[in-house]
Amino acid sequence: MSDLLVSQSMLQLVVACTATLTTTGGAVAYLRHIRVERPTVGTFNLYDIRNLMLLVIGLPLVYIVLPQWSFIILLLLTFGSALAIGLRPLIPPGPMWLGIGILLGANIWVARTMLGTQGGWQLYWVLVDIATLAAAISVANLFVQGGMRMLHASWFVMGLAIYDFMFAEVFKVTQVLTDRFVGYPLNPGVGIRWHIYGVEIGLGDLLAFGIYAAATYKAYGVTALRIAMAFILVFGVLAGSLTPLVISEVIRGSLNAVVPVQTLFGPPAFCLYLWFRHHYGPERTMAEFRAALEAESAPVLPGAESEVGRDLGRVGGQTAAAP
Amino acid sequence: MFETGIRQFRMALAMVTGRRINPRLIELLAGDAVATLQEFGAPGDDVGELLDGPFADPDSREHFQTQAIRRTLRRIATRSPHYRDLLSGVDIQQLTLADFAGFPVTTKADLIAHGPDFVCTDVSPYLSTRTTGTTGRPIEIWMSVYEAALWPAFAALSGLLRDEIRPSDCLQVNISSRATAAVQHSLDVCRLAHARTRVMGQVPATQSLDSLLDREPTLLGAYPSYLAQLVTEARRRGVTPGDFALRGINAGGEVLSPSLAAGAQQTLGAPVTDIFGMTETLPVSGRTCAAGHLHPDLNMGLVEVVSFTGPEPTAPGELGRMVITPYFPYRDCMPILRYDTGDVVRQLSGEALGCEFAGTPAVSAICGKVSQLITTRSGVVTTRDIVEVLESLPSRPWPARYRAVERNGVLLLTVPSAALAGLTTVEVSDRFGERGIDCVIEVSEPGAVLRGVRADLVETTFTDSLVTAGV
Repeated sequence: MSDLLVSQSMLQLVVACTATLTTTGGAVAYLRHIRVERPTVGTFNLYDIRNLMLLVIGLPLVYIVLPQWSFIILLLLTFGSALAIGLRPLIPPGPMWLGIGILLGANIWVARTMLGTQGGWQLYWVLVDIATLAAAISVANLFVQGGMRMLHASWFVMGLAIYDFMFAEVFKVTQVLTDRFVGYPLNPGVGIRWHIYGVEIGLGDLLAFGIYAAATYKAYGVTALRIAMAFILVFGVLAGSLTPLVISEVIRGSLNAVVPVQTLFGPPAFCLYLWFRHHYGPERTMAEFRAALEAESAPVLPGAESEVGRDLGRVGGQTAAAP
Repeated sequence: MFETGIRQFRMALAMVTGRRINPRLIELLAGDAVATLQEFGAPGDDVGELLDGPFADPDSREHFQTQAIRRTLRRIATRSPHYRDLLSGVDIQQLTLADFAGFPVTTKADLIAHGPDFVCTDVSPYLSTRTTGTTGRPIEIWMSVYEAALWPAFAALSGLLRDEIRPSDCLQVNISSRATAAVQHSLDVCRLAHARTRVMGQVPATQSLDSLLDREPTLLGAYPSYLAQLVTEARRRGVTPGDFALRGINAGGEVLSPSLAAGAQQTLGAPVTDIFGMTETLPVSGRTCAAGHLHPDLNMGLVEVVSFTGPEPTAPGELGRMVITPYFPYRDCMPILRYDTGDVVRQLSGEALGCEFAGTPAVSAICGKVSQLITTRSGVVTTRDIVEVLESLPSRPWPARYRAVERNGVLLLTVPSAALAGLTTVEVSDRFGERGIDCVIEVSEPGAVLRGVRADLVETTFTDSLVTAGV
């Protein structure tokens, strides 16, 4: 094991940890304070997970088949719509689209003109990181506020676990895709370039963590969220970052490693859901979650303990108002 | 969520293109609505746009109605033996609403005399439903399997989204058990809404009250006259609103007076909604807002208010006959054009509506039947005029019983002596006078035949005799 690989893994750990905490924290904070628009009729169900998985499997294949110049169109649509979903409740349409245009436009401009310098790479990653984190937080809330339950989130990460293993270790599609995106505008990931090291965690992994954290918080409250965060950090971030130090099969060349993070995270995350369900009972619905939040923010008379606030802290599943 | 979006798109596409709508699609959407309510407690944004249609804007409304009438006529012209001759030679593609208003109305007599000719040739009738015959001979209306599935599916979907029914509800049905379409409709709506149903029929009011008092029913559907009997029985027993679990009462099929509605709410503890529905014009229905307007569901059919004397529309503020044409693809088996319902309504005076259903045009609440209008020298007197005055008397004579005729240019009203309790006939006449009606009151002889109401269609049970026999 080279010192370079250790240093790179440590940097990966720091970046992945920061990005994951930002995404999960942002997703939960957004869930608590901001409502995304939802359709008149419809809630997330297991058929949506099936459709989502078909999209997750199909999209990389499309990216492999498509010529590289066309990526930018798809990525502009993807990032533009994802950012709009999250920003629409916060900013009027005009300024919102202007802001999205500036962010994505600057990203393209920097990727085309400034990647010859270390400073250019840093700026490139800053712009990509902002877009990716905001997109992950937005889409996680689109799903969870659309009715996605922890049940669905757990099946989703289990599906990703299989997908990640097959695409990274069997068909080697992930490596091809990673190579095709690096250095191009709107790279869907959070990363950094530091000295000779370049590290990155993908948008898909951050989205999975964001969804899992937000769905857990909605379903069972803050104590469950803390436990889920420990799982995310241990099985997702720590294991994902340090795997190259113990499993050489994920390394290509000296420092180039592609780790199927969801393969490491999915099974324990699914088991944790089963334990929550066994321990706490049925998940809260979105209506019950909102009611609990409102009760939590209601003024409490001196000396009186907030029932719902206490339930949120204790984790839910047992009462009607804050199960 | 994704599949729900696809279903909504398919439903909208079928509506726009005018093809038959797969009832299963609407049933699945009703299921999606149940899931939505269970998860979120309420429908999402823009629920009004989905439910109320493009009727607030007059131009959009006219365009929608013109297309719907042309679509309906295109089918009827080739499939309905009764209307085939009428429509031969009509340029349906260029037909306007004004042209359509010149078509002759279809009357109850037409339906009685030529009923089988109204059934379309490309449809197999499945279920017949008969009117209760309160105004004479009953009419038989046939429905197809498609209609029997489609109407409740749409009603369940809109009912769930409007919070008229919830999965936690239990609906007690106190309408005539022979009203097969309405009963089947209620059963299917509750099935699709995951709610419970208790079909009681028009059993003696005391038995229905016992059922309400077990605190299972949360919704009640009844004719106003039967509701009157329930309220009277509840007051006699001294029960209070807290003894019931009701959250809503739907009353329709007869004139509902404000006094009875208020009394029902005071006694049974739930607001009363005056709804409109008629066997012959299904699936067109209507809701009455808090301001007392009747808002017909214009998605399902064209509603016109026509003069008593000719085919021309009634002027604003005037009374007229309500004429209804249900649209294809909602009415399928036995379509009718410009059906003269015999119901009297008043055309609203034209100022902008400020009620909760302001997005949908409205007429006044149903005033009664044309056949029961009484012309006096002070003007036309409707059933509503009489019922509202009588049911507001301190004796609470619910449902109002009377015999009304015109004599020497004034309204001669015969009422039971119990209705007058505490008042003289002159004092009651004065109450009519306050409404601009010249009226003379007479007290009826014992056993005199007075106004019949739907509550008279009592359905007997063995319950009382078993109790009496001590079994």
